[in-house]
Amino acid sequence: MTILGTALGMVFYLLQVVSGESGYAQNGDFEDAELDDYSFSCYSQLEVDGPQHLLSCAFEDPDVNSTNLEFEICEGLLEVKCLNFSKLQETYFIKTKKFLLIGDSTICVKLGGKHITCQKLNIVKRVKPEAPFDVKVIYREEANEFVVTFNTSHLQKKYVKDLLHEVVYRLEKNENDWMHVNISSTKLTLLQRKLQPNAMYEIKVRSIPNTNYFEGFWSEWSPSSHFRTPENNSGKMDPVLLIISIVSFFSVALMVILACVLWKKRIKPIVWPSLPDHKKTLEQLCKKPKKNLNVSFNPESFLDCQIHKVDGIQARDEAEAFLQDTFPPQLDDSEKQRLGGGVQGLNWPSQHAVITPKTFGGESPLRCLSGSVTVCDVPVIPSSRPPDCREGGKNGPHVYQGLLLGAGTTNSTLPHLFPFQSGILTLNPAVQGQPLFTSLGSSQEEAYVTMSSFYQNQ
Amino acid sequence: MFHVSFRYIFGIPPLILVLLPVASSDCDIEGKDGKEYQNVLMISIDELDSMIEIDSNCLNNESNFFKKHSCDDNKEPLFLNRAARKMRQFLKMNISEDFNLHLARVSQGTLKLLNCTTKGKGRKPPSLGEAQPTKNLEENKSLKEQKKQNDLCFLKILLQKIKTCWNKILRDAKEH
Repeated sequence: MTILGTALGMVFYLLQVVSGESGYAQNGDFEDAELDDYSFSCYSQLEVDGPQHLLSCAFEDPDVNSTNLEFEICEGLLEVKCLNFSKLQETYFIKTKKFLLIGDSTICVKLGGKHITCQKLNIVKRVKPEAPFDVKVIYREEANEFVVTFNTSHLQKKYVKDLLHEVVYRLEKNENDWMHVNISSTKLTLLQRKLQPNAMYEIKVRSIPNTNYFEGFWSEWSPSSHFRTPENNSGKMDPVLLIISIVSFFSVALMVILACVLWKKRIKPIVWPSLPDHKKTLEQLCKKPKKNLNVSFNPESFLDCQIHKVDGIQARDEAEAFLQDTFPPQLDDSEKQRLGGGVQGLNWPSQHAVITPKTFGGESPLRCLSGSVTVCDVPVIPSSRPPDCREGGKNGPHVYQGLLLGAGTTNSTLPHLFPFQSGILTLNPAVQGQPLFTSLGSSQEEAYVTMSSFYQNQ
Repeated sequence: MFHVSFRYIFGIPPLILVLLPVASSDCDIEGKDGKEYQNVLMISIDELDSMIEIDSNCLNNESNFFKKHSCDDNKEPLFLNRAARKMRQFLKMNISEDFNLHLARVSQGTLKLLNCTTKGKGRKPPSLGEAQPTKNLEENKSLKEQKKQNDLCFLKILLQKIKTCWNKILRDAKEH
């Protein structure tokens, strides 16, 4: 019993000694009341240096005395069991190709070869991408937009290829007013209308893994880039466009004015042609003679005229009858001239209409007299002298140039006329016995009737 | 007679118990969703395939290994297990550091995903083949070279079979 009690007492005593109550310090090797917080965090960067990966760890408490502390990683490695970290200031890192990238690894903090604290983590779930770089902003004036492009080294990597990029931009004067845009590509378009005009902007980018296997943290921010938005050009137009619009406006205005001015005279007759008015048409065909029209029966006044030969168109009998009645006997029969009907040009060209048979005849009204030529045009060409004009009346055919006799003249005037014309009026020897005026009377009457009916209708 | 019954009672059942784990292989495939295979293993398999430079007629050769082991239905884990172990032998070839790392990643990664509990885990992998008795240096060199080509040819085929088997596993997992 005594032995039992003694044994129990010793056991309790030993327990008390060995247990090591908190705060017990003998020689100061151990720290004060609380244990140091050796918690740490790590992140990985895959293929950061060619095929080599990087794993970095650091204590969360910056006050930790890491003088003799070491980091070690075990499991999840190729060909080896464990690897030791290197130390750079307060950060521990390891650069190796020997990460399996499948499954968990164990990272322990060692002090003097003893494990102080360990943490199990999966390297592929703590990936921190490299920061993007080369951020550029290009202004596209034609589209009124800014195109933002940047580069990332992960485009050439094998494992962490798919990233989510966060683009932030702000007005430089607004310090904390950042606009955020998330994209999966390396190109972003910002519309000009959503930005303030004539302002300076700052823009930067960062990335995070965006795959279903690799996860992790945001990368560091890329170096900032700056760009300025152009001034408000709502009232400003492109100079070329302005010129074109002005020219177009004036062209349209000119066309409208011309259309209004020329509507009645030019455009409307083409677009809406009017039915011809016979009276007006005839009036146009036969212009009224000039007031001071010099009508003369003096042959000398017709020396410059083109005289056209009148050949046999009418009946020969009529012509002979006419000539016998009107012409003096001194006229050569061989020089009977066929008047009216058809007037033909002689050797010289004639461009003017001459007296037709319809206008001559026993009973035909001689409407065209001096100053009253209404039916036909009576052009007088004093300058154009036919070659045979001055020769004798009997030599070569001479034609009585179309001098129309006006209305109202009677047959009595006719003899007056013709004696004057005896020098001029010749007969075409080639034309014999052609009935010149056979149908003269009836056609003249018909023409007279027709023409007069116009006046009546008027 | 009494000692005979003891032999049967105490001899055979333990023998059965000992032999049973050897005959069976219990593999639980992790990563049937294909994440590990598509993001890690497939990359290393492709890298190895590009590193192996051999003649095109190599693929026609059928090794005894493939006659014995194939990726049949319900035997995919077993085939992958055998194939992954077989790949370890090629680490001795020391073609290059990157070659060995990719080889180790495929082998070790596959075994980790299979999570097999076969007893033969700790066994030393059989060697690729014994060296031929050398006659002279030149013949030795050519023989070694020929052997290397044969081994690389086998590895190339093995990698293709592994890829095919993984694709089959993932396809079956999607269907189910």
